Amino acid sequence: MFATLLGRAFCLVLAGSALGLAVNAARRDGIRFTKFAPPTTCGAGEAAPAPAASPVEVLPPTAAVSVCGDAQTLVADVRPAGEFAQGHVTGAIHLPCASSDSAASAAVDRLAGRHTLVVYGDGTDDAKVVADELRRRGGRADLRIVVIEGGFSAWSHAGLACSSGPCTECTK
Amino acid sequence: MMAALALVLRLGLGGLLILAGVLKLRAPVAFATEIANYQLFPAVAPYVAAVLPVLELVVGGALVVAPRAWRRAAALGALGMLATFTVAVASAYFRRINIDCGCFGTGGGPITGLTLVRNVVLMTAAATIVAAERD
Repeated sequence: MFATLLGRAFCLVLAGSALGLAVNAARRDGIRFTKFAPPTTCGAGEAAPAPAASPVEVLPPTAAVSVCGDAQTLVADVRPAGEFAQGHVTGAIHLPCASSDSAASAAVDRLAGRHTLVVYGDGTDDAKVVADELRRRGGRADLRIVVIEGGFSAWSHAGLACSSGPCTECTK
Repeated sequence: MMAALALVLRLGLGGLLILAGVLKLRAPVAFATEIANYQLFPAVAPYVAAVLPVLELVVGGALVVAPRAWRRAAALGALGMLATFTVAVASAYFRRINIDCGCFGTGGGPITGLTLVRNVVLMTAAATIVAAERD
C-alpha cells in the first residue's frame, strides 16, 4: 500500500522533472546549463549595447543609508560569498558578478519594479564595475544607481544599523 | 469533517504551488541565481531552477484535480519538496546569509523566521492531506 503511494509520488516527481527540463529546453529565455555562472567572482563584463541610462552616483555611507530602507530599492553586495556570509547590509542580495550573460540578465530581471539600485563591494571600484555593467545592460533612465563609497568596510565603520550577520565593528 | 478539511487544504496547497510555479517560470535565470545564492550546491542550481517550477505546477495541479490515490501521492510529493525547501531555508537562516527566499520567484523578500514557520505550516498541511486521503 505504502509502496504504491511512494511509487505514484515518484512517478509524479519524475514526470514533473522531465517536463520541466523539456519546457526549459524549448524556451528561448531558458537556462543554458553550460553557460550558467553561479555568482562567485567579479570580472570585466561583455557589454551589450543599450540605450541611454542614468549615471552611477557614488555616495558616502551616511548619504546612502537614506535610500537603503526603501522598499523600491534593491541593495546588491558584489563581494565574494565568504565575505557576504560574514556580514552585509540588511536585505542585500548577493550579486557578486555581472560578467556573464546569465548573471547580468538575472540582475536586470531583479530590477523590475524598483527605482533605486544600491551597490557596494570591498571598496568603491569593485562595486562601480558591477554598477556600470548593470547600468549598461538595464538601460533604464528612470533607475537611480548608487555605489557606496568605501564599500562595506566604510559602511561598517560608520556604525550604521542596517547591517546584519557577524560584524564586530557594527554598533548595532 | 475530515473530508472538508482535506478539500480546503488540497485546494489551498495546490493553488499555492501552482502560483509559485507560475511566478518562478517568469524569470528562470534569475531564479537559478536565487538558488545559487543559498550556497548549498551552486553547481546544480540551474538544473533545480529548470525543473522546480514545472514540478510545482504538476504536483499542485494533481492536488487540485487528480483522483484520490494520485492526490495522496501528490501530497506526499509536496511534503518531500517542502521538507527540502525548509532545510535549505533553515540552512541560510542559521548561517545568517541574508538572501532572497526565491519561494515565489525573484523579489520575494529576504528569508526570515516567518519563512521557516510558513514552510512548517505548509508541511503540516501536506502531511494532513496524506493522512486524510487514505482509502
